[in-house]
Amino acid sequence: MSTPREPTRILIAALGGEGGGVLVDWITRAAIEAGLHATRTSIPGVAQRTGATTYYVEVMPAQPGDPPPVLGLNAAPGRVDVFLGTELLEAARRAEGGFLTRDRTLALVAHRRAYTVTEKSEGGDGRMDEARLAQAVRETAREAVIADYDALARQTGAALNAVMLGVLAARGAVPIPPDAFRAAIRAGRAAESNLRGFEAGFAGASTPAADAAPAPGAGPGDLPGEARALAAEGVKRLTDFQDAALAEQYRATLRRFAALPGADGALVAALAKQLALRMSSEDVIRVAQLKLRDARRPRLVAEAKARPGDIVHVVEFMKPGPAEVLSLLPPGIARPALRFVERRGWMGKSIALNVSPTRPLGFLRLRLLAGLRGWRKRTLKHAEETAWIAAWLVLVERALPLGTRLAREVVDSARLVKGYAATDARTRANWRRIMEEVLRPALDGRLPPDLAADALLQARLAAQKDPEGDALDRTLAAIAARIASPSPRLAAD
Amino acid sequence: MEVSFREEIASLRLGAGETFRGEGILAVTKALLQSGVSYVGGYQGAPVSHLMDVLLQSEDLLQELGVHLQTCTGEAAAAAMLGASVAYPMRGAVTWKAIVGTNVAADALSNLASPGVIGGALIVVGEDYGEGASVAQERSHAFALKSSLLLLDPRPDLPTIVRMVEQGFALSEASNTPAMLELRIRACHVFGSFVAKDNRRAPISFRNPAMPARFDYGRLAHPPVTFPQEADKVARRLPAARHYILEHGLNELLGPPDGELGIIVQGGLFNALNAELAALGLSDAFGRLRIPTLVLNVTHPLVPEQIAGFCAGKRGVLVVEEGAPDYIEQAIAQILRKADLHTPLHGKDFLPLAGEYAPPVIAAGLAQFLDRYGQRFVAIPSLAPAAAEAAKRAVGAVIPPRAPTFCTGCPERPVFSAMKLLRQETGPVHVAADIGCHAFATFAPFHQGNTILGYGMSLASAAAVAGTNQRRPIAVMGDGGFWHNGLNTGVAGAVFNRDDAVLVVMDNGYSSATGLQDIPSSREADHEGRGKAVPIERAIKGVGATWVRTVHTYDVRGVLRTLKDALSDPVKGLKVIVARGECMLARQKRLRPAQAKAIAAGERVVQSRFGVDAEVCTGDHACIRLNGCPSLTLKPSGDPLKDDPVAHVNNDCVGCGLCGEVAHAAQLCPSFYRLDVIRNPGRLDVWRLRIGNWFLRLFGGTPITEAPKLRPPAAVPVPAE
Repeated sequence: MSTPREPTRILIAALGGEGGGVLVDWITRAAIEAGLHATRTSIPGVAQRTGATTYYVEVMPAQPGDPPPVLGLNAAPGRVDVFLGTELLEAARRAEGGFLTRDRTLALVAHRRAYTVTEKSEGGDGRMDEARLAQAVRETAREAVIADYDALARQTGAALNAVMLGVLAARGAVPIPPDAFRAAIRAGRAAESNLRGFEAGFAGASTPAADAAPAPGAGPGDLPGEARALAAEGVKRLTDFQDAALAEQYRATLRRFAALPGADGALVAALAKQLALRMSSEDVIRVAQLKLRDARRPRLVAEAKARPGDIVHVVEFMKPGPAEVLSLLPPGIARPALRFVERRGWMGKSIALNVSPTRPLGFLRLRLLAGLRGWRKRTLKHAEETAWIAAWLVLVERALPLGTRLAREVVDSARLVKGYAATDARTRANWRRIMEEVLRPALDGRLPPDLAADALLQARLAAQKDPEGDALDRTLAAIAARIASPSPRLAAD
Repeated sequence: MEVSFREEIASLRLGAGETFRGEGILAVTKALLQSGVSYVGGYQGAPVSHLMDVLLQSEDLLQELGVHLQTCTGEAAAAAMLGASVAYPMRGAVTWKAIVGTNVAADALSNLASPGVIGGALIVVGEDYGEGASVAQERSHAFALKSSLLLLDPRPDLPTIVRMVEQGFALSEASNTPAMLELRIRACHVFGSFVAKDNRRAPISFRNPAMPARFDYGRLAHPPVTFPQEADKVARRLPAARHYILEHGLNELLGPPDGELGIIVQGGLFNALNAELAALGLSDAFGRLRIPTLVLNVTHPLVPEQIAGFCAGKRGVLVVEEGAPDYIEQAIAQILRKADLHTPLHGKDFLPLAGEYAPPVIAAGLAQFLDRYGQRFVAIPSLAPAAAEAAKRAVGAVIPPRAPTFCTGCPERPVFSAMKLLRQETGPVHVAADIGCHAFATFAPFHQGNTILGYGMSLASAAAVAGTNQRRPIAVMGDGGFWHNGLNTGVAGAVFNRDDAVLVVMDNGYSSATGLQDIPSSREADHEGRGKAVPIERAIKGVGATWVRTVHTYDVRGVLRTLKDALSDPVKGLKVIVARGECMLARQKRLRPAQAKAIAAGERVVQSRFGVDAEVCTGDHACIRLNGCPSLTLKPSGDPLKDDPVAHVNNDCVGCGLCGEVAHAAQLCPSFYRLDVIRNPGRLDVWRLRIGNWFLRLFGGTPITEAPKLRPPAAVPVPAE
């Protein structure tokens, strides 16, 4: 008896609504066209709507007189010959399910990310590490091809699934001749663009994304090497934001910190970033300035997919509240005014402005706001921002003698402060809490510096993890408990 | 009806000897026509929606055959429709999603099963069990047992499925018992082929109507005849069914006729079992088994002599039966006991008590069973566990789940943005959730909903919360659920009982979650539409509710204001908010081709989409936490100073406007903008742009687009998307 014929088993991991169903349909129809036994199934249902889903196909060469085959409906871990992934995280998810194995799986994966809501929701950077996701596929597959097929799809104006089909056909891993795939595409919708995509994938003209490494910066020579490029960027930003004087003030601050004992390159680099961001924190004036920027126009036209002869108008959604409007006044006037507004309970009031910078009135409004740049240094917003920066820098300076790592965490804590209006208020309040409940005990000697550095990092991540939730409360409570009862080992230290 | 099934309809017309190709549920549809049904009905729900959807568009074919087709308003209506087969020798089929649909239909099912049928009655249930399921995990088997229904569970290949539909009718007639045919999700979507037969015209149909049946008290499910009916079920119908099953070989004995060991498996699980046996060298891809296997294509009733015959003389038998409780295993144990057979019986001792029998689960159970009897089949050790470990190490973090979510531009999302803002302002509110797309609000980023009790039952499920809670509860219901159950169970009940609750009805125009089916409030407009445009507000007021407001869902501030009004209204009683906004899937299907056509024809069309200024966005992503639109995503900031990624609107944006609304309502940030692209601008547009651009230049600005010539060159069509 000859060795039993086995089907080629193909698992496709995709996001619902992306056309995975069309992809398996092409494969099945091509297989039938080529005279093979074929079956496929899927679990669409609720998974349609951008949820994670899989499709499964089995194909097997047919011989005359074959009894009806009994093909599988479920992919089995350890028994997948070809794995197609249209998204990196979903590919890694199936790798974790054991569906990719060293002995047999050829993995063809699009190097593309569609972020999950969990990743997108974080107040900071909640994205999974792409390199590690790709690694999970590479380490488990017999052979892994991970390339930017999405770019190929965009270039050819085809759907990604057509490109993936071309890649599959080119590999010859499935006993279906390429022309059978072409016929299957022709029988379906949008045949022309899909055939284009198929051929692009078939030609294997993958375009792996080459990340251009940032050119080593020529920057102020009196700063550590790794901080120079960032400092140069910061100087540029602040000159644009305000003037050369502000940029010089920034440079001087960096120089002062670079000279402090214990300040290493990493610390100064982090400071170069955060200080530049804080010193150029977005006020209404800055927003108007950015909205009128020339560099913005080509991007908008491209996004609008405007053809010659089309007219593009832009509408900005601005809704400054009393806090933002009044903080444009000098502190002496703004503070009492804000107190008055607060007493009246008007802080939540605001006027929705749909400003169109492509029309005269809207343009004029933004122009006037942007023109307030010279006035900025007199505003309450500037005064408050300056005071915040000073307080933050004092904390960095005080943390430095306790350890460079702790000081760096204090520098990075500025990443917490961001946004406008309510977001701005919330992030500042979180920052103050963390400084009060984590850094202060460290400065007072109630928490060892190394532990404090970890705790600062954890508190920052918690505050960003679910900004409206209670992750920060829980983390701070745990840190407080730790401060109240140091572990025996710590006591022995 | 918005989805088109031209190809599927063509395959329903295939004649004898032609090869049908398609998915399982479509094969069932064809098999119904081959069986000569007089009527078909059902209620939509995955994975069987397709059956009705396709038939609804096959009007010509049904006209020829005289088949009466009914879009039932619920599963109870569908089950009750089988009453035709109680009184007339008519074959009829209905379909719905199990287990939920069978629950709704239970009353009619009992009263159908009691007198029994004289025409074959078949209920096609989509067994929504296991991976991808969207309902509570229970078995239809229980209904078959309690009401004495036949239960067919065919092997998931098309010829068997089709044969079981045809035989199901015959079996139903032979035993005067209604039959259920269960198809698991993957079986509904399995693609395969079978050799078709001609469609058959029913002896009674709307082309050939019957005379009204004579009065026969014995056919009523009403005492005192219900007592003899109960006896008839067990004394006559059950043996008749068993006889037919045996005589027509509905269950299959595969593999060698004799052997020390044996396996009894539900038909629906056969392919999964076979794959694992093949991996052990005990079968192959053609199902040539090397171990005796009894495939139960009919799982109720079992035929005692068949079971006993199979088990007799074997050292051990394994029952592969998915789900809990183990009805089949219990029944087999009883059969063996009564036959005084001592064959050791295994099943849930080696296989899990609950959960889907996915390949690794079956593999583990089989291995234990074979090992127990010293059969050491050498399976090549699986590399899967090691691979899974390696992948986890490589990823080094927990991969977040990817639950389904509201589509891009979904009109229901804004309501939950408003509800999240409400929660931030007023603190927690009890939210009674329901079945439908809006149940996606239970996932990130909305995390709303305290209970889900059933379709259209949200308001009823809040009845005891209203009045015992510090705040009025909010019940959310879709228009699908509203017409299915909610109007009566919810609204009428709450008005009658003076419940102090808030109801939000999502009026998106279709039963969207199940595939855009029309409902009574659907638009009447196009030729394919079956809607009656019945205003939901009128229905609500008709049962006595007085506080009824209508809001447009994209108006987040308006929804928020109305919700606050409803929660704070000093007068106790039901407050109903009808949240209106057409399902974006349907809307795009309608609008896109029309727009492309208009643009190609040179007509003035304004298209909008949203964007985010990366320089203005600070990367806090509060917008995403309030919105969650798939097209609102992240991208690297492109700024060496900014570490965190910024928000970004991708090309899927349909310009629904929610981004701007949320930015305003939550006073978020000024980074959102809308692009309005005027295609084929008119004279007025061009003149206004000229003047505007002149003005911009005067003040040192640069216009974004130059004014085109007044007579634009021939219109360029927009590429089809």
